[in-house]
Amino acid sequence: MERISLNQLGSMIILFLIGSSSLFLLASDAGKDAWLAVFVGMLGGLALLWGVNLMIYRIAPNSNLIELINDHFGKWAGFLLSMGYVIYFCYKSIRNVREFGDLTSILLLPNTPVSAIMLIICAMAAYTVMSGVDVFFRMAEFILPIVIAIYVMLFLIIAFADLLQFDNLLPVLDKGMMSVLKAAFPGLISFPFGELILFLMFWKYVEQEGNDIIRVTIKCYLFSGLFITTTNLLILAGLGKLAPVITIPLMQLTTFIEIAKILERIDPFVALLLFTGVYFKLTAYYMGAVLALRYMTKLRQKYAVLIVGGGIYFGSSYIFKSYMEQVRIGFTLNLKYHFPIFQIAFPLLLLIVVLFKKRWNEKVHANEETE
Amino acid sequence: MKKQNNGADSQGSEQANRLSSDIEDNIRYAQDTLGTGPDILIRRLHLFQESKAAVLSIAGITDKASVNLLVDSMLSEYREQSGLAREGDPFQALLYRMLAVGGIRSLETLYDLDVAMLEGLSVVLLDGYDRALAVNTGGGERRGVEEPSTQTVVRGPKEGFAESILTNISLLRTKIKSPNLRIEYKIIGQQTRTTVAVAYMKGISEDKVVNEVHRRLDAIETDSILDSGYIEEFIHEKKYSPFPLLQNTERPDAIAAGLLEGQVAIIVDGSPFALLAPVTFFKFFQSSEDYYQSYDIATFLRVIRFVSFFASMLLPSLYIAITTFHQEMLPTPLLISIAAQREGVPFPAIIEAMIMELTFEILREAGVRMPRIIGSAISIVGALVLGQAAVQAGLISAAMVIVVSFTAIASFVIPAVNMGTSARLIRFAMMILAGSFGVFGIMAGLMVLLTHLSGLRSFGVPYLTPISPLVKNNLKDVFVRAPWWAMNKRPALFGKPGTSRQGKQEKKAISSQSGKSGEEEEGQ
Repeated sequence: MERISLNQLGSMIILFLIGSSSLFLLASDAGKDAWLAVFVGMLGGLALLWGVNLMIYRIAPNSNLIELINDHFGKWAGFLLSMGYVIYFCYKSIRNVREFGDLTSILLLPNTPVSAIMLIICAMAAYTVMSGVDVFFRMAEFILPIVIAIYVMLFLIIAFADLLQFDNLLPVLDKGMMSVLKAAFPGLISFPFGELILFLMFWKYVEQEGNDIIRVTIKCYLFSGLFITTTNLLILAGLGKLAPVITIPLMQLTTFIEIAKILERIDPFVALLLFTGVYFKLTAYYMGAVLALRYMTKLRQKYAVLIVGGGIYFGSSYIFKSYMEQVRIGFTLNLKYHFPIFQIAFPLLLLIVVLFKKRWNEKVHANEETE
Repeated sequence: MKKQNNGADSQGSEQANRLSSDIEDNIRYAQDTLGTGPDILIRRLHLFQESKAAVLSIAGITDKASVNLLVDSMLSEYREQSGLAREGDPFQALLYRMLAVGGIRSLETLYDLDVAMLEGLSVVLLDGYDRALAVNTGGGERRGVEEPSTQTVVRGPKEGFAESILTNISLLRTKIKSPNLRIEYKIIGQQTRTTVAVAYMKGISEDKVVNEVHRRLDAIETDSILDSGYIEEFIHEKKYSPFPLLQNTERPDAIAAGLLEGQVAIIVDGSPFALLAPVTFFKFFQSSEDYYQSYDIATFLRVIRFVSFFASMLLPSLYIAITTFHQEMLPTPLLISIAAQREGVPFPAIIEAMIMELTFEILREAGVRMPRIIGSAISIVGALVLGQAAVQAGLISAAMVIVVSFTAIASFVIPAVNMGTSARLIRFAMMILAGSFGVFGIMAGLMVLLTHLSGLRSFGVPYLTPISPLVKNNLKDVFVRAPWWAMNKRPALFGKPGTSRQGKQEKKAISSQSGKSGEEEEGQ
């Protein structure tokens, strides 16, 4: 397989992190200080990324997550844990497919059944996953400049349309630092900043090694973190008190745009912009699940893509009854209780085991040498 | 090399048969295999005191004057009779002292004799020798160099390739007078035995690519190559794709420019269209003329071409999507106007668009196939079908006519016809998607298209280079055409990375000349 360049890795990280996060008002519990919470959450996520995920990568640059788990946890525990990650990746993908489907249904196609829309989404994703990791990362490289350019244009238009009232942000830290921290942890670590655990599946495909990858990953992480903070800030400044109660705040903000009677209803295009991010996110998870499953079962690419894709499609059709339920389960339950297990607990455990084994090996080695 | 063996395998035993030392046997063999038609010329003569000889050739593919000169040189030698005594071997005498025509090779087998004659050579047989001489008297009527009928330019060279491979290569050699221009020949097609030339610049092209071209050409197993289109389908990456994976052009200057950027050219005898490989998506939006006129207008035209490509692919589907699903996107007065036009139209927008697009495709095909003499008929009928009359008949709305006409015009803007064709095909898929899922359908289509494009390769080079994978230096010649003095490096992925095509230029010095002058220099 063709290897991935650093530029492609960086593009994918940015697209993946921006993904669906600009759809929501993140950390809405913190009220006016939500943007501060996002910033703090980003720093927390950075610690997790640098201290755990990249540390694991640094120790074992040529293995992916599943290989590591199987190497270090033995047959049964390893199998269970790997299966857990396959399901976790699938579930993440399912949530994104559902989001994508529901939003399309709400914003663009109110009369089309959601299941039909989700079938199309899954088919698109399956085609991309089937094409391989390198193709997927090249797509990201191609589309990132376009996405960023449109976002920047959108922000400029919002600014010029006189929609921003920065009074909405004042006073800063009204409810104190505690509410900011509470909103940031663990919620923001789980979504979106802790999600880079997925890249433990991809880092090994990058053609350069070691420090270059770490540098690019952190740079792109910071860029996306600041980008999400900015989006959050704009939503708060534009919508004020309304922000937390609106389904898709950024969309709402764009519907207010009215410049010279030309740029009036650009929201379908903004919807497409948001969807591009969601699409890359769900496909990345889909691909992660397929890679993991293939490593565990030695299935052929075709069958793995079909099995995982089928699972994602049926999961997205039947797990949630409605968009609201999906958001509720996601933000109140998953973020606080379930995702941290996979994003923080297991990686930390893995890191400790790997480190311990490495130490132990070195000690044994040293002992042998002295003997 | 391997190919020639394969080609001959089917002839099996015949190939092994050596020429007979009896001249009559050889002549009989030629008559058996090639027939005794009026174009098979057999000129018998007597040399060196009654020693029998014969000159065999095929009229029409040999040059009459050269054949006459050949015969004449043999007869005049006979008249003088001077060399014979000194030269013991008449065969050697013929070869080294007598024949006044260039390009001679010796033949051993009967099969070679046929092949040589069919290639337009004249064969000299001498009684008592089981060898023969093939003399290059090639010629015959071919179309001359004319202005290319496709890919026309306002400014720039007006000559185009013709059918004869020798003409085409001579055009190329006069453009690039460098010993680095390497041309290698092979014969492909067991029946047609078509000459195919592979041209590349040594030191600029990557050896990997050149070898790959050779490997793929050698792997072709077919009995006929009638146009470079055959070769194109045989050698590009085996993948179903509406997009062209090789570039074809009638213009020698385009081939020369490609060679100088490290592409490999494949020239096929009998076809005025030469191929260039590897190629990327963005190459199809460059016209040779971009480099002959000033860079600012060239850049502007490139942008126009990309816009046209997307318009030709997406405009009807966007119209369908917006009028069917997202009416709120239109400004209110326009929405009312379109609604009023569509009032009397009996079909949904998707059917309306399909009818009109298919009508246009039929008109277009008719325009290409129809005899030139009745050309005016189609424009009259076309204007009726695709115009005001159709609107008045209540079949379609006026807005749809505009959309379809604009789409049609836009598809002609793309310099490469084959890229325009792929946009045409994709247009229909997009229309169906837009008709069923609106803007979301279009986006899904584009995403699948992007996946497809990202997965394509042309001779190992990813199709979307230099955007993904990003090659920064090449960006000077994608969406913009940078001035010549700013493009000191060759595009990196085709050629060896970083080779420069010219020394650093000073803007001031170059601004007084025409920008093109620096390019011909062979700075490596």
